[in-house]
Amino acid sequence: MTNNTAAKSGAHPQNAQGLKRRFSFFNTKAGGVDLTFLILVLLLLSIGLVMLFSASYPNALYYRGNSFVYISHQLVFAAIGVFGMLVISTVNYKVLGVGKIAWLIMLATIALLSLVFIFPPINNAQRWIHLPFFTMQPSEIAKFAIVILFAQMAVKNQNKMHTFRYGVLPFLPILGILGALIILQPHLSGTILVLGIGAVVMFIGGMGIKWLIMAIGGGVGAIAILLMIPGMLDHAMIRLQHWQDPFIDPRGAGFQTIQSMFAIGSGGLMGVGLGNSRQKFLYLPEPQNDFIFSIVTEELGFVGATLIIILFALLVWRGFVIGMRCKDRFGSLVAVGLTAQVGLQTVLNIMVVTNTIPNTGVSLPFFSYGGTSLVMLLCQMGVVLAISRNTVMEKA
Amino acid sequence: MLFTLILFVVGGFGVICVQLFTLTIIEGERLQQMAMNQQTRANILGARRGVIYDRNMNPLAESATVWNICISPAELDQDRLQEVSVRLSEILEIEQSVILEAAERRHLFYWVIARGVDRTVVDEVLEFVTENQVRGVFTEQTTRRYYRYGRLASTVLGFTNADGDGAYGVEAYYNRILSGVPGRVVSTRDAKGADMPFMYSHLYAAQDGNSIVLTIDETVQHFLERNLETAVIEHGIRNRAAGIVMNIRTGEILAMATIPDFDPNDPFTLVDPRAVARLSEEEPGSDEYWETRRNLQFQQWRNKAITDPYEPGSTFKLITAAVALDNNLVSMHDHFMCTGAFTVSDTTFRCWQRRGHGNLSFLETMQSSCNPAYIMIGQRVGARLLYDYIEKFGLREPTGVDMPGEASGIGHSFANLNKEGRVELGSTSFGQSMTMTPLQLITATSATVNGGYLMRPFVGRQVLDPAGNVIQTTQPTVRRQVISAEASATMRVLAEAVVDDGSGRFAAVPGHSIGGKTGTSQDLVLGAEGGYILSFVGFAPMDDPQIAILVMLDNPRLDNVYGSVIAAPVVGAVFNEVLPYLGIQPRFTTEQLAQTEAIVPNIVGAGPHDAQARLRVAGLDSRLIGSGASIVRQVPPGGQRMPRGSTVILYTEEQVTPSEVPLPDVRGQSPHQANTELVGMGLNIELRGEVVDGAVSVVTDQLPPPGTYVSPGELIVLQIAIVDSDQS
Repeated sequence: MTNNTAAKSGAHPQNAQGLKRRFSFFNTKAGGVDLTFLILVLLLLSIGLVMLFSASYPNALYYRGNSFVYISHQLVFAAIGVFGMLVISTVNYKVLGVGKIAWLIMLATIALLSLVFIFPPINNAQRWIHLPFFTMQPSEIAKFAIVILFAQMAVKNQNKMHTFRYGVLPFLPILGILGALIILQPHLSGTILVLGIGAVVMFIGGMGIKWLIMAIGGGVGAIAILLMIPGMLDHAMIRLQHWQDPFIDPRGAGFQTIQSMFAIGSGGLMGVGLGNSRQKFLYLPEPQNDFIFSIVTEELGFVGATLIIILFALLVWRGFVIGMRCKDRFGSLVAVGLTAQVGLQTVLNIMVVTNTIPNTGVSLPFFSYGGTSLVMLLCQMGVVLAISRNTVMEKA
Repeated sequence: MLFTLILFVVGGFGVICVQLFTLTIIEGERLQQMAMNQQTRANILGARRGVIYDRNMNPLAESATVWNICISPAELDQDRLQEVSVRLSEILEIEQSVILEAAERRHLFYWVIARGVDRTVVDEVLEFVTENQVRGVFTEQTTRRYYRYGRLASTVLGFTNADGDGAYGVEAYYNRILSGVPGRVVSTRDAKGADMPFMYSHLYAAQDGNSIVLTIDETVQHFLERNLETAVIEHGIRNRAAGIVMNIRTGEILAMATIPDFDPNDPFTLVDPRAVARLSEEEPGSDEYWETRRNLQFQQWRNKAITDPYEPGSTFKLITAAVALDNNLVSMHDHFMCTGAFTVSDTTFRCWQRRGHGNLSFLETMQSSCNPAYIMIGQRVGARLLYDYIEKFGLREPTGVDMPGEASGIGHSFANLNKEGRVELGSTSFGQSMTMTPLQLITATSATVNGGYLMRPFVGRQVLDPAGNVIQTTQPTVRRQVISAEASATMRVLAEAVVDDGSGRFAAVPGHSIGGKTGTSQDLVLGAEGGYILSFVGFAPMDDPQIAILVMLDNPRLDNVYGSVIAAPVVGAVFNEVLPYLGIQPRFTTEQLAQTEAIVPNIVGAGPHDAQARLRVAGLDSRLIGSGASIVRQVPPGGQRMPRGSTVILYTEEQVTPSEVPLPDVRGQSPHQANTELVGMGLNIELRGEVVDGAVSVVTDQLPPPGTYVSPGELIVLQIAIVDSDQS
């Protein structure tokens, strides 16, 4: 595909290094963005928007009196996000690695994460900052901030990353602070995601695999210690039981999981047809949010759902390719980190809706309702596109 | 490094694909079914239950459309609960708390708060629901069973339960035929109960039930029940009376009753005053109270004719005689000597005639129901034959009648019957120490006189589809031929002799040849307390038997314990009404015809059946007024001479006094006109003077004279004369 478009555009070879902004959109060789990645993003976004409308309208109509409440909101943010993505793709991503910018972003993130605690809790959780026109989740920004900062740090310590002193120790306070702030919200899945993405960047940045294994071991140990807190064990056991058999409490804790499984099961091989989901009619709670994929499966079936998963996989693959081919190490790490975030979030989300893991509250990129997180996601995709302009893609 | 990462990614995506495959393909069907269950609501469309007709297409049980009022607690608006429940309780005339308690069951979508309400109430509910946009209140069409004739044939018909399914009797036995298949509208609803747009909705039409035509004849049933009711009062029956009228050739049950019974429109209310009195002994509301009430209800629902085996007593002698005749072990020329007692081994059986019958012909043994003679006949027959014939007569198996709960009696095993000393053989020979249900007894004894055929009795004659077309007809079933036609012909002679001039003479109906046999046995339950069960089984007409009637009176008052005295007149009374109704013409002997006058016997103080039987024997008809236990007044009084066939009016209650009316002037009318007018007033007439065919006669005088106050039953003497012999 790249070859074809390159031939068609017939653009002059351009040097994409430096801050020169020659806009040659369709020629990667000449520093244009990676078209495959862009198309995959737009494809997923389009499918996501269609499915969001389908999944959300009964809820929107019943609770908000207007079928279009969610989709119209999401469309506005999608437009803003795509615009932001295209603008950012033309900016030289390297500014992110210059001087103290990454540190400033991280400090701002920590400030915002602290700020959530002054807002009233929703469903016993304080994850949001409520502003007059929109609501934002600082943990979304944290995912970006940690990628940038860790990439920069890994580049700086490039040759000593395998050591504990340089490869692990400097990162630990940041992981600790972010992890603590997010788990306090409480937001378990957000914590897992942020820490996981951090670990991915460290690992790609050259951290020894033994440290990764030790980190996983440490995580298990931490969970074990957490379970020592009185009452925590029972709480965890109950959650585990509900995960094992949601029918223990079909009208309570197991309800959403059961309704999700009903939806997925109803899909069968080919699905009940676009728009024909029955579970979205107030059975599955909030089908526009974390559980949108069960409605997708109900309507499009195993085949449709698998095709969408393949699109996600292709996006991740393409993101990794961009990272591999990037001419500079900082860009590589950022591209892989941001792509891994999408992949990790997708896998965790679908594991939740299929009851493979307990319900933790992870949204599905490009699909789930949420304006700020969509804008945030598309902007990050813009960064990957910007990085793709600095690659050697002919090896593909 | 990157390879490790890719491994993770591929692994992660792989896991979710596998999991999706599991849920959509492997478990898809199960999950889809569960999802469908919650997404669809079925509205039941009740199928109309079939009608139960008598043999002349009178509807005995039929269904009418009514509605259930239901709520869906899950869908009720909790904020409006107060308003909705108050209004509904007003419309439905039920306690508000009933609705509020039902509304507590928040996880339910269906709860009936009122059953069987009629159209006007439903309309009111629907109006309220529509005008106020109430969610979660709906109506459900269903049917309710009506038994037009109330208690008539209730133990045969049974009744339906709250769900409309047959709970007892024919209603239960033919439930699947009667009930049809309820239809339903299945539609998809969202979680709040509203219809989903453009979604699946399917109507399965209700299939109405088929109707059943019974062999029961409402009129015959009425005759039987009225006579049993009279008998229950007359004799203070303590453990219910049962009766069966059966077509002797086909096994069709024309009537079957147990009195007292119950009203199938309201089967839970106790009808029998004895049962009500028994219940009043218990502390209302206590556990014992409910337990007793339940037992008494079960008792009143029992169809005694098929569920309660009893010792048949002497009626069984018909069987013993039939066995002996069929095997040529006895002939009409044989004689038996009765000394009043007969000893088998160390057991002495007494004849009911303590001083003994003396020398009896075989015919006379049946007429006098002599026990020692039947022990002797039983010994001739032997254990082997008697045992085998008991089986052949179907006394060891239910008759196979198409009603639920049929029992079968028990008797001695062959070994027991054949035991050294043969005491059991002796007692069995005259109807003791073995039991059978009334239906088993009437079926078996019918086989002795109908040519030898053991029939399968039945009540279901035809099945009609909802449009009224006959789709199934029951053919009479001969289970087997038990005795030869010749033996059966002799049996008819024996049975007729019993009524003509034997222990069964009070079953006689002038003009009709009736046969039968009495029976008395000790109640096995009360036993030592001295309870008796009295029965009579009768057949008519004896030259060509068509009808068999059995009446069994369980535990009458103890002043009268012989079946010949109290059960036979009841059977005679039923025959007296049934035979003319069925078009069986009386045939009087010349002797009877020559006898044009009768002298009214004095029967004040007698029991109704006893009195009627005595009037019948005297050649008079009778009409019973009131429901007392004995005759307190008769019109005309005893000693009066009347034309044969006049009707004597019998009063059984002091407070019911004869109505007196002024006698019209019938002088100058034709005898026919006068007759019609006076008989219509319940009077008897006697014509004096000549009546010549082709000549015109008129009434010239009447006694008493016009204007005299007379009461029904009184005899009016009309003098007639020929006025014009030329006219023709």
